[in-house]
Amino acid sequence: MDWDVVWESVPLIWKGAGATVSMFAWALVIGTAGALALALMRLSAAKPLQWFAIGFGWLFRGIPLLILLFFAFFALPELGILLSPFLAAILGFSLWTAAYQAEVIRSGIIAVDPGQSEASEALGMTKAHYMRRIIFPQGLRIMVPPFTGNAITLLKQTSLATLVTVPEMALLTQRIFSNNFKFVEPIFVLGMIYLAMTSVLLIVSVAVERAVSLKV
Amino acid sequence: MEWDWGIVGRTFDLLLLGTRLTLVLFFFSSLLGTVLGLVLALMRMSRFRLARWSSLFYIWVFRGIPVLVILFFAFFVVGRRMGLTSVQAGSLGLGFSAAAYIAEIIRAGIMSVDPGQSEASEALAMTKRHYMRRVILPQSIRVIIPTYMSNSILVLKVTSVAVAIGIVELTGITRQLSNSTTRPIELFTAAAVLYVFLTTVIVVVQEVLERRFALKT
Repeated sequence: MDWDVVWESVPLIWKGAGATVSMFAWALVIGTAGALALALMRLSAAKPLQWFAIGFGWLFRGIPLLILLFFAFFALPELGILLSPFLAAILGFSLWTAAYQAEVIRSGIIAVDPGQSEASEALGMTKAHYMRRIIFPQGLRIMVPPFTGNAITLLKQTSLATLVTVPEMALLTQRIFSNNFKFVEPIFVLGMIYLAMTSVLLIVSVAVERAVSLKV
Repeated sequence: MEWDWGIVGRTFDLLLLGTRLTLVLFFFSSLLGTVLGLVLALMRMSRFRLARWSSLFYIWVFRGIPVLVILFFAFFVVGRRMGLTSVQAGSLGLGFSAAAYIAEIIRAGIMSVDPGQSEASEALAMTKRHYMRRVILPQSIRVIIPTYMSNSILVLKVTSVAVAIGIVELTGITRQLSNSTTRPIELFTAAAVLYVFLTTVIVVVQEVLERRFALKT
């Protein structure tokens, strides 16, 4: 491995970090909002809402993320929906995040002792009220570890956006392959940047877990 | 625009060829991932610090890096030096990646077995090697199967990333066909159906295995 090439590659690849991080952030925000809606639909009394949430999860967790991205990128234009590569990627990542995080939120909510809901009802609280003030805060503690686990997976998967031509870090790395015929060095740099990013997320997740844990 | 679902029928042989390659990648990466994952899990619980640390380091690196980057390394660096085909390099990369996740699944399964079982085995003068194989591992299988199988679904889906190193598996062949026929909607839907079919097969196998290894009472 040639260290000069390593140092030359760092700024070239780092230029894509902005795209990587913004795809991650947008998909996490949009996907989590969708996941919350799906989890509540799944737990609602209305059958059609339940079926929709189940179908959504089955579909988007059963299909490889790459197929979702290709569908958004190649197939949607045929339907008259022309998205930029960046938006197509965010759409695919958001659907993926919504499907996976919905399961996390739902299992967190149902893990809370049903006695809590019963007690809240006995105190005359409305469902909306006690879900927000009693159930959700307790479920949060259970949701945090799998939620951050999925978030780390999402960050790594933004690398797939290279296949729909988003100029993120993996695409810029491939550009070095074809321009300079160097492989080991740019792959090493790319790997180290991702490892640093996921390690930071890992530390953040431990901090969040500690912040929401029971203080005794 | 007009739908033309006939395109799926006309290209079905090619889609099946891609599916076969997907299954080849899935099989070899699962095999490598399971064997290496078992070794990593045992190293992680070894009494030698060096073994524990190298296992921990491996898992940290391979779970911290996207599988795409691991495939780049397997193909452009390892594959070129060793003269591997893209499918060989792809199986290697996917397998090394899967091992990191499978190691944690096996470790969690082994740790879930009551420590009284090891103590009792030691009291019966069994060696560690002997009771791990005859007492602990068989009991841990029950815990391992569900998580191992849901991980297998991820392993299957992640084989699609191999398209990035030029392997024409199901996703790759679909992309090529959609470019040449300009029928992306029909073809990607067909690919999605095939993937969902394969993941459903894994779910069924999981049910069967869980029943087979369930405690008979």
